[in-house]
This record gives sequence, structure tokens and C-alpha cells, in this order.
Amino acid sequence: MGLFGRFRKGKQGRQRVVFIGLDGTPFTFMKRLIDEGRAPNAARLAQQGSLLRMDSMWPWVSSVAWSTMMTGVNPAKHNIFGFIDRDPATYKQFIPTSRHMKAKTLWEVLSEAGKRVVVVNVPVTYPPREVNGLLVAGFLSPNLDKAVYPPSYLPTLKSLGYIVDADPWKARESKDLALQEVNATLDARIRTLFHLLENEDWDYLHVHIMETDRLHHFLWQQMEEGHPTYAPAFYDFYRRIDDMLGQLAANLEGDTTLMWMADHGFCTIKKEVYVNRWLQDNGWLRLRNIPPDRKLGLDEIDPASVAYSLDPGRVVIRVRGREKEGCVAPGAEYEALRDEIATAALELHDPDSGEPIFQAAFKREELYHGPYFEQAADLILAPYDGYDPKGALYKETLTYKGDELVGMHTYDDAMLYVGGHTIAQVRFSVLNVMPTVLDLLGVPHPPGLDGESLL
Amino acid sequence: MEQKGVTIWFTGMSGAGKTALAVPLEKELRSRGLKVERLDGDIVRQSLTRDLGFSKEDRDKNIERVTFVAKLLTRNGVAAICSFISPYRAVRAKVAEEVGNFVEIYCYAPLEVLIERDVKGLYEKALAGEIENFTGISDPYEVPENPDVTIDSSTETVEESLVKILRRLEELGYVPPAEKDEAYTEDEEAEIEARLAALGYL
Repeated sequence: MGLFGRFRKGKQGRQRVVFIGLDGTPFTFMKRLIDEGRAPNAARLAQQGSLLRMDSMWPWVSSVAWSTMMTGVNPAKHNIFGFIDRDPATYKQFIPTSRHMKAKTLWEVLSEAGKRVVVVNVPVTYPPREVNGLLVAGFLSPNLDKAVYPPSYLPTLKSLGYIVDADPWKARESKDLALQEVNATLDARIRTLFHLLENEDWDYLHVHIMETDRLHHFLWQQMEEGHPTYAPAFYDFYRRIDDMLGQLAANLEGDTTLMWMADHGFCTIKKEVYVNRWLQDNGWLRLRNIPPDRKLGLDEIDPASVAYSLDPGRVVIRVRGREKEGCVAPGAEYEALRDEIATAALELHDPDSGEPIFQAAFKREELYHGPYFEQAADLILAPYDGYDPKGALYKETLTYKGDELVGMHTYDDAMLYVGGHTIAQVRFSVLNVMPTVLDLLGVPHPPGLDGESLL
Repeated sequence: MEQKGVTIWFTGMSGAGKTALAVPLEKELRSRGLKVERLDGDIVRQSLTRDLGFSKEDRDKNIERVTFVAKLLTRNGVAAICSFISPYRAVRAKVAEEVGNFVEIYCYAPLEVLIERDVKGLYEKALAGEIENFTGISDPYEVPENPDVTIDSSTETVEESLVKILRRLEELGYVPPAEKDEAYTEDEEAEIEARLAALGYL
């Protein structure tokens, strides 16, 4: 029996799931890799299961999308609306963590049902909450020491050379360093994945590859344009991903379902769009002072302002009674202003190319419903692919195209793979993933889920 | 934050969710360090006002006595959570005037839902004529015109309703926000923010 033969753990006939997160790997990109013969394992697996195109969740950042995946509910029920958020009464900004997550996670539901879970590196799992098994929190952990439940597993992770996240500052220095970072981190992640597979007991094993997202942020454009050095390196990275999927699949028991998921797609950035700059240009936002180092908090918003934006593309109306020193009356005034901003957003064009920037301006009630609805921004601006809305409070120009960050997220090109099941391609979203996993493991759905199983 | 006494007044027809919300609200306010007392219609009518019936006159007296207690509690910095059908607007207005710090929470569900729920078996008896002066069947309920919070127990979960109520109490300054057990030190948060910025997420 070879090394991987030892994967055969647990009782015969035990339903299990291995779930791989491939952060930001577009469905269309995976299909292209398959069609071009660059992902033979994924190609074979796609024949043996269902490789599906999936919608993300607005706004399409990993903290929101994975929170939605892991709870099966929309943001107004899990309370994670972005990588950054604010207390509207004080304007103190904070990074939402698992402490802010108000819904039970998939792994908590599975734990309560007596299943053993091993969950590694999923966004918004820091600080690690108790599970029946092992949880290693994701890149919002300040360090590995604080990221592990139970803490007794920390020495094992350190012995594996586990890395929490690729270094983004090094990645910004040069494309070569970016590649070095993502490959080194991927090495450690894959090494940890197979160690857990072999050595831990699990019913649900979830390992999240964040390195795909990192690679795409720094090198997506180079891949798309066929850069002589970086395009091959990009494909080589994905060859390693494909090899990993092949090794996994080859050594899973018949009752184990392999799944993988991307939480959003990716495309090349045409322009970053500074929404607060646009709000200022239109007189909806004014700032009190512009400090020399331009690091501004929301306290710099002049009380006469009626709106501001949080990353990515969220517009908050400074409504009285909710926002600090809010000046917009709730009711008719709020609605009129919101409509005005929404209409203007849809009329905003790239000053250079003339292309429209936003394809939709969602009112929050169109996207969210639940007890934490009041925390949501009032408008969520959905950009066309290529236009990347940013939340910086002060910028001198409306748009910018840089060299360091070249890739951005897309909404409707996420991906789900479910091995061993034939599922018709319909329009569905990340909300459907948790109920699907629960069905695969024979665990009843908790009340209040917003999505249905795909099975 | 020094506790400001308040009377939190749940009004609504029988079975609409007054007590179902008052109980977890009491627990939550206690967990935030507040002094709390709960005055519940069913319980008070077995003690403080057990001599009273359900005629208009007796209902008014019931509320009058409860108001006396609620006012004392409020005056002494306690959160008095009161759940009474209290069907008459003028009477509720008088309570508000008496106690000063007053938050009205209207608990609603459609009558057909309440009849179907019939948590205490009273609607069936009232419809059969076995109980007189039953609010919603043989007695009126005057809907609040401007409550601080409106709850619809036919569409909201208890948790959803509680979040609404707590948010309003926080906005009015009667309840401190829930204590946040900080996930990061200041330095850690700054580093994570810098990491997010480096990735283009801020």
C-alpha cells in the first residue's frame, strides 16, 4: 500500500467530503485550461462530476463570499459586508472577524451533528471558533499562534512549515517575488493538505487555497496578454493545482465526494475607480482636512456630506439617526438622494474610453434581508468587468491604472465542482453551497438558510 | 455608561409575542450589566392586580397600578420591562407621561395567525363566547400610532425582533452596546489593515 493508500480512514460507507477552495479561479478560466489540455486532472474530474458556473455575492470580495458559503445565508443574516466596515454611530472602522459573524457556520453545524471537521485557511475564520476537530484560521489572523483551534495542533503546523499567507508587500515589489511568494505558500498549503488527509480523522476536510487569488491580483494581466515569462509561470502554478486535484481524487474512497469552489472570478483591471472622489466631484461628499500623509478615517467626513463609500463600491447615505452627525432625513429625502446617486452612477463613464463603469446600482433591500440589514450600505455599485471600485477616502483623480495590482474580482464567473454527481447547469450562487454539502453528509439543514441544495 | 432608568413597554394582543420577546430581552440586558425587572401581565394579574377583571375600568386600574411600580423602578435607574396587552391609546399615553423614560414596542401579528396559534387556548374560548371582553374578539385593540419599535411576529424570528429592539434602545441611550471582545490588539489591527491595503481591498 503506497503513501496515499493510508487515506482510507474511517468506516466503510462513511459519507465524507473533501472541499478545496480555489480562491478567485474563474469558471471560464478553468474551462479554458481544460480545453487547452493544461488541466488533465480537472478535465477528467469534470467528466466524472459537475463543473458549474456560479454567481458570487455582492460585493464580490472573499470575506463576503466565503462568509455566505460557510453560513448559507445572505450578509444581512451573517453580518459580514466587506473586508472593512464601520460603526455608523461612531465612525470607528473595523475589520470584520468571526466575532462579528452572527450565523452558524457549516463546520459548526456539522460538529453539532457529530461530524469531525478539519478546516484550514478559510477567510473570516479568525479568531478560530470551537469545532469538533481542527480549525486553522485564514489570512486575517495576525499570526499562526493565534489562528489554531485547538492550540495543541500548532506545533504540528509549524513542523510542516505552514504559512498563513503570501507576503503582499514582497509581491508588490516585483512580479518575480510575487511568484516566489505564492509558490512557496502553495507548497506549504499542499503539504499541509496531504498531511491532514493522511493523519487526521475527518468527515469534512476543507482546505482553502488563497494563493490563486494572490497570483491573480499580481499577475492576471500578464497571463491574459501572454507575457513571455510570467504567462508560463502562471500556467505552471495551475499545473501544480491540477496535480493536487489529481492526487486527491485518485486516493479518495468511493464514499468521499470531492468538491472545489471559487468564490468569485477574475479579470484584468482596466481602471481603479475611486468612488469617494466621484462623490466629492458631485458635491455629495466633503472632507474636513486633508492631512499631508492622506491617511484619512471617516472622522474626516464633513458633517454636511450626504454620502461616502466603503470598499468595494458600497455607498452609505448619511441618514440622520443612524450615521454619526447624519444630515439626511429618513424617508422621502433619503430615497430621493439614493435614487439620484444610483442614476448618476449608471451614467458614469470612463473619461478616457467612454465606457460605462457601473452595470448596476443595487439598493440594499434588493440584495439583503435579515436582522443585520441596518449594517448594510444603502447602495452597492456593481461595476462592469475591468472597473475596480475602491474605497479610499481621498484621491486626486477619479481613475487610475497601476502596475502592481493588475487583476480584480468578477461576480458571475465563480465556480463549483461536485464530484460524482450530475447537476444541471442553472443560475445559482454561493448560497447554494452549504445546503449541498449538508445533503452530501446527510445532515439536516438548520432553519433559515437562504439557498437550496443543488442535489 | 451610567444606567438611565427606562420603562420598556410591550403592547399587543394576546399571543403576539410580548412575553416571548420580554424574556430574552431581560436576559440580554442583564448580560450587559443593567439592572432589570420584568412586569408581565399574566404574572401581575395573579398578585398585584388579582382583584381586577377585564372590564375597561379594571383594565385601566391594572395599568395604573403597574405604572406606579414601573415609575418607581425607572426613577431608580432600573430597566422595567412591561408586557401588557394595554389596548387603549390614552392609557398607554398616560403611562408614558407618568414614567418619562418610556419606549413603546408594538407586537403585532394578524388576528388569524393569533387565533391559529392560540398559545393559551383563550381565542377558542373567546370565540365560543366563554370569555367576555377579550381583546381582538369582543374588545378593541387600539394600534399604537407612533411606537418606537414595531414587531411582526408572523414574519420575524425572535432574534430578528430582538436585534431591532436592542438597536433602538442603544440609539436612545438606554442600553450600552454589547461588549466587543476585541479580536486584535491595536498593532495587529493596523497590520491587518495594511495587508488588506497592500492587496487592494481598502
